[in-house]
Amino acid sequence: MDNINLFPLYLSFRVAITATIISFIIGIPFAYFLSKRDGKVTDFMDTLTNLPVVLPPTVLGYYLLILLGRQSPIGAFMENTFGKMIVFTPTGAIIASTVVSIPYLIKSSKTSFVEINEDYLNAARLLGRNELNIFFTIVLPIAWRGILAGITMSFVRALGDFGTTLMVSGSIPNKTMTMPIAIYDALQAGDKYMANLLVFIMTSIAIIFLFTINLLERKMRKG
Amino acid sequence: MLELLIKKTLGNFSLQSTFTAKNGVLGILGPSGCGKSMTLKCIAGLQTPDSGLIRLNDKLLFSSEFKIDIPSRKRNIGYVFQHYALFPHMTVMNNIGYGVKHLEKKQRIQKIKRMIERMQLDGLEDHYPSQLSGGQQQRTALARTLITEPDLLLLDEPFSALDSHIKHLLEKELISIIKNNFDGIVLLVTHNIEEAYRICDHIMIMDKGNNLQYGTKDDIVHTPANLTTARITGCKNLLDVTVLKETDQHLILKSNELIFKAIKPKLKPSKIKVAGIRSHHISFCSDSHNNDNTFECTIIDKINGVFSTIIVVNCKRCILQVELSKMSCPHIHKCNSSKLMLHIPPHQVFVMDKDE
Repeated sequence: MDNINLFPLYLSFRVAITATIISFIIGIPFAYFLSKRDGKVTDFMDTLTNLPVVLPPTVLGYYLLILLGRQSPIGAFMENTFGKMIVFTPTGAIIASTVVSIPYLIKSSKTSFVEINEDYLNAARLLGRNELNIFFTIVLPIAWRGILAGITMSFVRALGDFGTTLMVSGSIPNKTMTMPIAIYDALQAGDKYMANLLVFIMTSIAIIFLFTINLLERKMRKG
Repeated sequence: MLELLIKKTLGNFSLQSTFTAKNGVLGILGPSGCGKSMTLKCIAGLQTPDSGLIRLNDKLLFSSEFKIDIPSRKRNIGYVFQHYALFPHMTVMNNIGYGVKHLEKKQRIQKIKRMIERMQLDGLEDHYPSQLSGGQQQRTALARTLITEPDLLLLDEPFSALDSHIKHLLEKELISIIKNNFDGIVLLVTHNIEEAYRICDHIMIMDKGNNLQYGTKDDIVHTPANLTTARITGCKNLLDVTVLKETDQHLILKSNELIFKAIKPKLKPSKIKVAGIRSHHISFCSDSHNNDNTFECTIIDKINGVFSTIIVVNCKRCILQVELSKMSCPHIHKCNSSKLMLHIPPHQVFVMDKDE
């Protein structure tokens, strides 16, 4: 009981929160862009966005390894210029989690952007507001519920990622070992008690998180 | 004054709109898909015409020649959308204040308060659009637009989504609000001739992307320029005719076996081919064999409406619809004899070209 190492829990949260923030910053403008255009290029990009959902995690991890590994142009550049490695570091875990979780955020946000009645935007335009202003005063507040659902899904997915993270950042104890990997590790080592405990923690977090979001959503619907 | 001369092609639909509008209400009337809403959207800058120009009170809003296309937000045009498009996440107060955010706070609040008072929305400041009745929504939408003091007001089928009993109330209210608060140009898009006739001073008929006729509302109703206009303005009896004889004032027309008289149109159409008679202009009479333009007919069908009945008759192999108010001649509604005499007033017959 004394020697429970909480590092995986801490790391998982750090990775998932960072990945969700990155997903939000990149995903929301991208989702809005996808919702406003339709054409072959947009369709292609839309399909590409969903690729991480359907690809096996190991395949995705393999691609990321090739893209970011020490031999790749990006990996070499990072190592030579900043002296930093991406693979087998927490940064690698963050990137892996972002890639697997961003499709959920984009998809959910895009759906709620598409559902916004174009007349609201046109009315705002005719009342003298520019596009950026309209995005913050009309689009975001109206689409908020879908975005929130997207954030939740994306966060939970990032928190639970196993395969891709393992491929990209490995399972170095106290460095890159996240919760899901720690569970696998404990099971492999025959430490059933540890595995049960970690599984219990993970399940509780997921339930509490979903419950809170649900509550928040209901409150917002009323207000 | 609004001057418009635009062309726009979308897929296999092409819009060609040319007209000018002065102060007062101009109704744009046409079936759905005729390009009337697109015309409004072009004026508002929500759609870009392929070519042409749009000028509002000496301000050029769009010109393909000079590469001018002022964005919607700088056109100063008021627009009331079909379902009002009130922002659902904002209170009445914030909705109304949305277009005057650039004003200093004190002045802005004062202005909003005054507008709320004028539109009789007192006490609803903190309500959300979903909590408002249809009339309150309409007033909020008008307040939101009028507070920006637009140069031009565009109304895009404001009543089409409403129940008929509330429609008349809102229509009356809209007319009085506009008369009391706005003295510029108003364009109203509708597909309902009754609505257009009640609200507008002038009417423009559109079909398949073209302007067919533009005139005062009475001109449009009394002398439709062509078959489509006649149909859009609700004329039920349209007969293919040939001209048998021409006198100084009259034309003698023949359709199947029906030979009747009509007043000569002012503009002599090149090839007269269709005669229109509105169904409520035809009347039944009991005997009067000597009367002009009176014919024997057989009743084929009776369609009972709430306040009027439409009687379909065969008159010398022409099928005609006659609309009668239920009050005016109860005996016809009850009578079972199928033979009647009907009278076509010559001055109510309009003759026009057949559309190509």
